[in-house]
Amino acid sequence: MDLFLQLLFTGIGIGAVYALVALGFVLIFRATNVVNFAQGEFSMVAAFLMVVFAVDLEWPYWLSFLLALGGMALLGIIFNLGVYYPLRHRTYLPVIISTIGASILLANTTLALYGPQPQVLQGWFETQGIQLGPVFLDSQYLLIIAVTAVLVGFQYWFFEHTLIGKKLQATSQDKEMASLLGIPVAGMIMITFVYSAVLGGIAGILVAPILFVSIQMGSAIALKAFAATIIGGFGDVAGAIIGGLALGVIETFGAAYISVPYKDGFAFLVLVIFLVLRPQGLFGERIAEKA
Amino acid sequence: MAITRRSVLNGLAAGAGAASFGMPGILRSAIAQGGSTLKVGMVLPVTGPGADAGRFALNGAKLALEAVNKAGGVLGKPMELVTEDDQTTNPGAVLAFSKLASQPDIVAFLGSIRSTQNHAMAPDILKTAKPVLFGGTDPVLTHMGNPWLFRFRPNDSYSARVIADYGVNSLGKKKWAVIHSTDAFGTSGAKALNDALAASGASTAIDQGYSNQSQDFTPVVLAIKQSGAEVIGSYFTFENDLGIFARQLRQLGVTVPWVGSPSITNVTALKLAGPSLYGTYGVADYAEDSSEASKSFGTAYRNAYKVAPDNQSSWTFDAVTVLALAINKAGKTDPEAIRQAILSVKGHKGAEGEYNFDQNGDGLHGYNIVQNDKGNITFSKRVDFKD
Repeated sequence: MDLFLQLLFTGIGIGAVYALVALGFVLIFRATNVVNFAQGEFSMVAAFLMVVFAVDLEWPYWLSFLLALGGMALLGIIFNLGVYYPLRHRTYLPVIISTIGASILLANTTLALYGPQPQVLQGWFETQGIQLGPVFLDSQYLLIIAVTAVLVGFQYWFFEHTLIGKKLQATSQDKEMASLLGIPVAGMIMITFVYSAVLGGIAGILVAPILFVSIQMGSAIALKAFAATIIGGFGDVAGAIIGGLALGVIETFGAAYISVPYKDGFAFLVLVIFLVLRPQGLFGERIAEKA
Repeated sequence: MAITRRSVLNGLAAGAGAASFGMPGILRSAIAQGGSTLKVGMVLPVTGPGADAGRFALNGAKLALEAVNKAGGVLGKPMELVTEDDQTTNPGAVLAFSKLASQPDIVAFLGSIRSTQNHAMAPDILKTAKPVLFGGTDPVLTHMGNPWLFRFRPNDSYSARVIADYGVNSLGKKKWAVIHSTDAFGTSGAKALNDALAASGASTAIDQGYSNQSQDFTPVVLAIKQSGAEVIGSYFTFENDLGIFARQLRQLGVTVPWVGSPSITNVTALKLAGPSLYGTYGVADYAEDSSEASKSFGTAYRNAYKVAPDNQSSWTFDAVTVLALAINKAGKTDPEAIRQAILSVKGHKGAEGEYNFDQNGDGLHGYNIVQNDKGNITFSKRVDFKD
């Protein structure tokens, strides 16, 4: 039972990171109908910004956090203008290739600017965690789970109970109709990119004290988050969260009870099963609605 | 593009290179010796997870290159490094090597520190038929009939014996957890360790592989805990994996002694894992206090790069130094002559230890045992083998 609880906690913690990055995938997919393959690099860039502010410049952690998120908002704007906007009237394929190109550019620019050495970023808390009976609760995982829960709540409130959220939803469902109703579609898509970049950034900063800050950290998370998005149903916010958490738990339990070397295999086996048996994912209705 | 004298000469050189594939070896060798520098190719990671290690490798090679050229170069010419990025992947390594191998004026190569990449390049190395000096420690690499591979680090049959010997005889621990990467390096290291443990009368309570770039080691740590192992022996390929494992090991309350393969002593691993590695033991091919040659390399490296060196840089330093010695001794750049000259190197005191090449191409035959004393690596003892 002790083993089970420890694995469950870790699985949910890792899953929450996948869920945060998956949310970014979903939001951009809903707004633009394309998968943003640079979503993982958003996490990596934010973690490096945090290292620059909090470690190199030794600024207070909270200020560094806000500045890093500000930087991500700016990156979201640049990304929208440079990667998506010029290709917005083309089919999805050139945009996807453009995001892959942007992902390589971001990784190699960071490598050129900061060098290849992985960096250490301390977590928010001095203490490593809490021993709760037989289970050790890592303070950073606790924070990740809490932040994910808060962001899910915020997202629900923002999209369902604010005018701008409703405008964003309208834009994602039918751009032409939204435009006819006077909604500034380009502006809404810009907001989506900014929000997704910030979301990816939060995931990166939260996971950095656990996985260290390296050029590859983004792509490793993004691959799993992408799988989580497909499992949850592309385009569905609740699906991304549940898909992410499920993936984290499945791979952790699979590794513990079946085989550690095949840990990644379990995640992708679930992905293949979903692609074959339920390609629309757990909550695939929204795509059907859009189609 | 403007046509300059240099571009024309380069074009002619490229043409000669292409044509030289059909030339007899002696003519190729003559062209190779005709340049103003003596070129050595180097396959190293500039991008990917090994990029940081690649920087250390290049620094070590450059330091040796500087010393060689200051001392008059090789065959009267300055030595020059031509580098290609292997992207820390096997396909990247194969591509990088083939790019370098297509340049006929390159007389020898520095391969990878990663065994899996050397395995990937091995068929092309055999076809190219020029010496490749490498740092991977999978014992198989020098025992698979490829005469062009020369190892500049002790292989894992030695590291495993030293890990087992230290854990069993010095620490008195008989029940082991063997943790290793599932790549060529980790798998062969773990096999050698299990064999060495069996030979020492110890038992393996758990043999646990993991895939590189794992984000979580909780299942591995819990399995170690449940196995009741008294000591951990490990073969980690990447420092970030080692760092995550070390932290989770301590968090989940596992405090048994840990004797690791050389990555546990790497500068990057020490930085990432911090206090989680305090008190651990490691086998290290490079230990600064192990010999005068190691000390002087350490001093030169610190002066040049303002950081401490580790085995990522010491093996390339030794490889470039020994290669220069061998070519000068051979008196020509004929690949077979260089090969024979490397194999005849005996008693060369390098940063990694004393080089005595055997007929398989293994230059070193022992390891140092070191301990992590609150972040400082302290030399404990050196164990050399006769076989």
